[in-house]
Amino acid sequence: MIRAVRRSLFALSLTGLVALFLRFQGENKATTPHQGGWRELSGPDLR
Amino acid sequence: MRIIVHGVGATGSRAARQLVSSEHVESLLLIDNDLAAAESVAVSLGEPAATACLDGLRTETRVQRFREKCDDADVVVLTASDDHVELARAALECGAHVVSVSDEMDTVEDLRKLHDLASERHLSLVLGAGFAPGLACLLARHAANGLDVVDEIHIAKFGTGGPACARQHHRALRSDGLDWRNGQWERKRGGTGRELCWFPDPVGGLDCFQAALPEPLLLQPAFPGLVRCTSKVAATRRDMSTKWLPMLRKPHPEGMIGAVRVDVRGWSGTIRNSVIFGALDRPAVAAGAVASVAAKFAVEERFDRTGAGGLAELLADPVPALQLLADRGVRAAVFEGIESSF
Repeated sequence: MIRAVRRSLFALSLTGLVALFLRFQGENKATTPHQGGWRELSGPDLR
Repeated sequence: MRIIVHGVGATGSRAARQLVSSEHVESLLLIDNDLAAAESVAVSLGEPAATACLDGLRTETRVQRFREKCDDADVVVLTASDDHVELARAALECGAHVVSVSDEMDTVEDLRKLHDLASERHLSLVLGAGFAPGLACLLARHAANGLDVVDEIHIAKFGTGGPACARQHHRALRSDGLDWRNGQWERKRGGTGRELCWFPDPVGGLDCFQAALPEPLLLQPAFPGLVRCTSKVAATRRDMSTKWLPMLRKPHPEGMIGAVRVDVRGWSGTIRNSVIFGALDRPAVAAGAVASVAAKFAVEERFDRTGAGGLAELLADPVPALQLLADRGVRAAVFEGIESSF
């Protein structure tokens, strides 16, 4: 009984670790600008 | 210019107001199932606005009555979803240009089938002439003109216009969308693919999702070298959790502020480049302005070709249209970013 509980806890924690890895994998790999600001298009931009 | 506007909801009434203030308007006929609503808009617009109602249980009856109305029309602006394709066909057969503001994928696909009919008659059939698509298509073309090669376009939008637009937003989230990837269409389940997209301030960052949106259908033919084209819509947790249900309460008469973001990526010489344009406005107001500009361009034969197409297809140089929109208060913005160090 204790062994089954231990195994299920181990399986759950392993699943959690894999989920955490997948969740944060790929962060900060953006190719587009992430800082800066918006500027209204005006005269020279509309030529 | 003799104009018919079908549907006087949030977008149709704005389009009518923009059109009636244009030069050389001989007549403006407002058609709606709700004649009292049409009459109230006509009274507020004054001369030369008039009203009509296509009363009839059968589509054939309504289309026949519409044909009688549009015999001498120069342009028809379709803003209501009822009988959209049938009325577009009837208008083209009567010799009128057609401007559609529909953002339903099926409607856009069906309207594109009328390309040959419009081309034969040297008429324009403008697809998706609203806020997004519409203004988004103009901004995509403008951004693309600043690059040597364009291979990716990503659209994101936030906000809804009137009640019909809110219902369509609800339907779109639970329906499959289409993305253009590596030379073929990929079906994407609605409500998946969450992405944080940044819109012009004060909207800021919002979670956007896949949905049944027509932008890729309109942009892919305009940019044959595209490798990827996607479109996403902002949705709240409540939108996502209730998308499977019928709308639980009546939609609002008009949405608040909306925004669109157009991210065009490609090459400037040997340098990888990205141009991001955005716009912030009430979606119905902006859609009405875009529809009126499209109608004006169609009648004045200022499009590059006749037949069916989105604004990015019909205008190689969108600057005159964007200038006209800016004069009408619909202003776009460019994101001037600092390259990420990651």
